[in-house]
Amino acid sequence: MRELKLFLGPQHPGMHGNAAVHMYVEGDIIKRSYLLPGMLHRGFEKGMERHSWVNNISLIPRVCVVEPDINEMAFAQGVEMLAGIEVPERAHYIRMIILELARISIHMMAYGGLGSPTGNYTLMYHAHADRNSILNIFEKITGHRVYHQYIVPGGVRKDLPKGIEEDIHAFLDSLESRYEEYRDLGIENPTLLKRIKDTIMLPEEVVWELGVTGVGMRSAVNKPYDLRKVKPYARYDQVDFEVPVSDYSDARARVDIKLKEVVQSISIIRQALKKMPKGPVRVPLGPGQSMRWTVPKGSVYSTVESSRGEFGYFIVSDGKTHPYRVGVRGASYPQGLLGIEKYLPGTRIDDAALWVDTMGVCSPEIDR
Amino acid sequence: MTNSMNNVHEINNLMGQNFSLVDARILDAYQVSYELEKEDIHRALTVLKNAGFRQLSYLSCVDWPEEDVIEMVYIVMNWEKALHVQLHAKIDRNNPVMDSVLPIFPGAKYYEREAHEFFGVSFPGNKDHEKQLILENWDDMPPMRKDFDPRAYSDRKFTKRPMKRDYEIQDASSNKEREIKREARANALRTGGKE
Amino acid sequence: MNSTKFTPRTKEEIDRKWWEIGDYFRRNSLWMLMYCTGCCAIELPPAMTSVYDMERLGMGPMATPRQADVLLVTGYLSLKTLRRLIYTYEQMSEPKYVVGFGSCTINGGIYHDSHAVINRLDQYIPVDTYVAGCMPNTESVMNGFVDLMELMKTKKADGWKRYHEHYDWYKENQKAALGEVEVHDEFHE
Repeated sequence: MRELKLFLGPQHPGMHGNAAVHMYVEGDIIKRSYLLPGMLHRGFEKGMERHSWVNNISLIPRVCVVEPDINEMAFAQGVEMLAGIEVPERAHYIRMIILELARISIHMMAYGGLGSPTGNYTLMYHAHADRNSILNIFEKITGHRVYHQYIVPGGVRKDLPKGIEEDIHAFLDSLESRYEEYRDLGIENPTLLKRIKDTIMLPEEVVWELGVTGVGMRSAVNKPYDLRKVKPYARYDQVDFEVPVSDYSDARARVDIKLKEVVQSISIIRQALKKMPKGPVRVPLGPGQSMRWTVPKGSVYSTVESSRGEFGYFIVSDGKTHPYRVGVRGASYPQGLLGIEKYLPGTRIDDAALWVDTMGVCSPEIDR
Repeated sequence: MTNSMNNVHEINNLMGQNFSLVDARILDAYQVSYELEKEDIHRALTVLKNAGFRQLSYLSCVDWPEEDVIEMVYIVMNWEKALHVQLHAKIDRNNPVMDSVLPIFPGAKYYEREAHEFFGVSFPGNKDHEKQLILENWDDMPPMRKDFDPRAYSDRKFTKRPMKRDYEIQDASSNKEREIKREARANALRTGGKE
Repeated sequence: MNSTKFTPRTKEEIDRKWWEIGDYFRRNSLWMLMYCTGCCAIELPPAMTSVYDMERLGMGPMATPRQADVLLVTGYLSLKTLRRLIYTYEQMSEPKYVVGFGSCTINGGIYHDSHAVINRLDQYIPVDTYVAGCMPNTESVMNGFVDLMELMKTKKADGWKRYHEHYDWYKENQKAALGEVEVHDEFHE
């Protein structure tokens, strides 16, 4: 049979984000494939050098669109490490609550994203309805649904409003009560299982060769390699939670790990709401105005565990009011670029969109 | 992680015995940073990979035009010991060439391609690293260098929406003294009146 | 026998009447193309699914550009996306409408001084209406759709006619910003 060139192009109903996959197919099987990144390139790293340290807070969340809080957390952590600022206790717990709520929302979106390429639209509708409730909670806390600009170097911007704890508890209760229904609709649905069981495998040597982190690594290596346990930040060592792993690494195992992580996140939020002390939430950055604040010289690499893996910011400062260089390590860089080139061939065309969803490829952080 | 400082000292000993370090810095219990000569980088990466640092986290460059160097940065991670090690090396800015680390870490392929596109560094040993990855039909100098001005490029190529200007500056010269006073006040605010 | 109710009209008037009837059906069942070009596309799934349900306005998603009516330009446009967007816009069949979301289509937004983002969308493609915000709320998005339907009712949504009349001007602007509008993908490998 002849080889045919196809674009799983940027305009496609099954594609998550604005990236294209160019593939050569023979019949139904993919022979060679490449990712075409760069359609979402905005020149972030150059733009961050032209804004001052505090002005960068408005530019930072826009790097990864679906989960913007990890960007703010990584930047704030890096700047605090360089400048030697100590953040108050209450701010640590609030940061933890915001990060875990963001993790629940993106896991729900990824789980609903399974529904779109396979035709199971009910799953997508339920998942987006729950995600919308989380966005409404974020609007009450921070003022904006998607780009919060809430975690700043020095703490968080404002304290939690009154009455938010009842809202969070009500939402968590409703999500827990529908957990069984979610499992029935998605992962234990025989029609969907045929597409994700025993397909899209990820062996262990591939993980070390490409540098894949996150859910893919935990399902292939079978060890709890999670940055929240291995190098804990923001009081993760004071709450009790487990990191789910699996020893058989197919697409179903990765989706299963994501659902179990949602349950663990719910328990973390409940413990944090109970243990939170009272006190200030923000520390002034230095003497004088914060717009003209300078950071001592040095270079630091600060990491945060996002839902897709290790997300890092490499910050270089030369003692002035603007950063000298900010480099962003997108968490899905290895599996997006290298994984598609080396390990997508061999699957069928209909599995390409599922591959992109279960491996966790988010295109804005590849091209920033 | 009570033994994380032990890990740091272990790595310090390992690196200090085998290489001549230009600079070594301990940033906190989970991060160390070393600066080496350009020729030692491959040997250092191999030694670290055998010591358990199997993941290449990040590879990039920093541009220092005053010193006329480009600084290459390699960051590797060890999950068992929870440690990030940064390796820095300075190369010449007018002819930046650095041997590729593809044989040690196959995951460096696209990082090097991006470093070529944005900084102009060439990596012999990495075939087709000169193809454009993120930009398309780019016609100017590598954009992340410090002498590239993105505002001038944008003004030249993309038309802007004209904004209404409904104020006028009365006398440009009388602003100069106010500006000087304002600058002095801002300097005093920045240092808290200490200088 | 002469009927008093029917008076003979010219061909243009009859065509116009049929076009008005067609507009009534068109504005009550707009099909939007599924193409998320930028960040504001995150606020589209709550509008498409059962939370804010745009199907009660008659709108639904469509996979191919040949059968879609509305092109939603959600957010900023980098140069690579603009080339492919021009292909998509010229593939849609007429009458077609364009809605620009977010402040990046109006004046460049927060990326106005970036080397890879265009600043004004209506220099390259005719735009019918904008939805302001960074990023706009889902309720603003629904409001934008209702505004588009109002524009169709008052016969002001004629972007596609402007594209025909000023075709040379649009092409010149596209070449000035992009250099070359054709997409060459062969070099990527």
